[in-house]
Amino acid sequence: MVFALSACGREPVYQSQSYVFGTLVDITIYGEEKNRAAELASRIQQDFQRLHQKLHAWDESSELSRINRAIAAGESVNIDSEMANILEHAGKLSAVSNDLFNPAIGGLIQQWGFQRDSFSAVEIDPDAIKALVAANPRMEDIRIERHDDGITLSSRNPAVRLDLGGYAKGYALDRAAAYLKSEQAKNALINIGGNIIALGKHGERPWHVGIQHPRKSGAIASLDLEDGWAIGTSGDYQRYFELDGTRYCHVLDPRSGYPARHLQAVTVLLPPDALAGTHSDADSKPLFITEPENRKAMAQQLGLTHYMMIDRTGNISVSAPMQKRLKWKTDAGTRIQTLP
Amino acid sequence: MPVPASRPYRDLKRAIRPGDWLTMLAAVAVILVLFESLWLGETASKVQIRAGNQIHSTLSINQQRVVEVPGPLGITTVVIDHGKARVASDPGARQYCVKQGWLDQAGQVAMCLPNQVSVELLGSRKIHDSLNY
Repeated sequence: MVFALSACGREPVYQSQSYVFGTLVDITIYGEEKNRAAELASRIQQDFQRLHQKLHAWDESSELSRINRAIAAGESVNIDSEMANILEHAGKLSAVSNDLFNPAIGGLIQQWGFQRDSFSAVEIDPDAIKALVAANPRMEDIRIERHDDGITLSSRNPAVRLDLGGYAKGYALDRAAAYLKSEQAKNALINIGGNIIALGKHGERPWHVGIQHPRKSGAIASLDLEDGWAIGTSGDYQRYFELDGTRYCHVLDPRSGYPARHLQAVTVLLPPDALAGTHSDADSKPLFITEPENRKAMAQQLGLTHYMMIDRTGNISVSAPMQKRLKWKTDAGTRIQTLP
Repeated sequence: MPVPASRPYRDLKRAIRPGDWLTMLAAVAVILVLFESLWLGETASKVQIRAGNQIHSTLSINQQRVVEVPGPLGITTVVIDHGKARVASDPGARQYCVKQGWLDQAGQVAMCLPNQVSVELLGSRKIHDSLNY
C-alpha cells in the first residue's frame, strides 16, 4: 500500500498551462524526466506564441493583418512558405465544405464584434451584413504564386479578410504533435481551447477526455482519446452574446452573414493523421452551419466518420462509430439517437 | 427438532463480543464511504484556480472562503462555500463564468477567458485527463 501510494506520488506526469490564442492551453507530458518534459513543453508554448502573433486576425502587427491590409488596398504582398501552405490548405478545406468553412469572412466576423478579446452585444446592422455577404469573399479569390525569389499573394476580391479562427488552433496542435514525435516523446495530451490531440497513453491506460455539456457545468460524455486521435467541438456556448433574448454565437453562416442557429454543439473525432488536429478544428464548422437535411452528405464530403451533434432542444444525434467510443454521463439520458 | 449448532460455530459466536460487531459495522461503513468517494469519485475535494500561466492556488473545497484572483483586466472573485465553488464576479464583458453559477462536481470548470482565470474542481482522482469544449 505504501509502495503503491509512493508510486502514485511519483507518477511521471508533467503539466504546463498557459494562455495563448485567447484561450487556455494545457500540455500534459507523460513518462519523460521532469526537466526534459519542461523543456519540450516550453518549446511548444513558444511555437504557440509565435503562431498566435503571426496569425492574429485583429492585432495590427500580425503577419495576417499585413496581408489583409494589402488585400484591401488591392496590392500583392510577399508571404513566407508557412503562410502559403496554411492558406492553400485552408482554401482546400473551404472548397470541400462548399465554403461553409470560410476563413475569408473576417469582415463579417468583425462586423459581429467577435474580433475582440472581450466582446459584448453589438448593434446588428442588417445593411452592413448584407453588403459583406454580397461582396462574397472566398478563399478561391486568393492567388498564391511561387517565384524563384519568393512567394506573393494577391486577391481578385478586395472584400477578402482572412481570419484563421477555425484553423490556427488545430494547426498548432499538429505542429506540437509532430515536434514531440521528432523528439521521441511518445506520450502527451495537448489541449488548446478545447481542441485536443493525444500522443501515446497515460501510462498503462489511454488518455481519457470529457466533452463539455453545452448547457451545464461538467461533461456530457467522455471517451478514450487514443494515440494520434484529435477531438474538436464547435458550440454556441463559448463565444456568444445575447440580445433581446436571442443567442448570437460566433460561428457565422457565410451565406446569410448571420450566426448559425441549428445546433448547440458539434463534436468531431479525427483518426491519426498528420493533419488530424487541423481537421478537428475546421471540420466541425460546416456541420454546425449546414441545414439538418444536409448534415449527412456534408459529413461524407468532409470524410468524417466520428461525429456528434446536439440540437437546439438538447437532442443528441451521434454517428454509429462515435457512439461506440462514448461513455455517456447519466443525465445524457434517453435523448440520444444513433445515426444510420 | 432443532438441530444444535455445531461446536465451532457456538465457539465463534461466543468469541465475538458486542465491540467486535461495532468494529465490523464501522469497517463496512468505511468501505462504503471509500467506494463512494474513490470509486464513484465525482465528489469534489479541491478547488484549483489558475491565473494566466500559473496555478494561482489549490484549496480545499470544504471551507468558506473568498479568493481574489488578479488578471489583466482586474480582479476575479472566487467564492468557496463548503463543498461548492463559484465565480462571484469577474471584470470580463460576457460574464459566462459568473452565469455558470455553483460548481460542485469534480471535473467542472468555469473559465473567465478575458481575465485569464479559470476555476476547476478536483476530486480524489481525475475523471478525465482533459476537457473538450
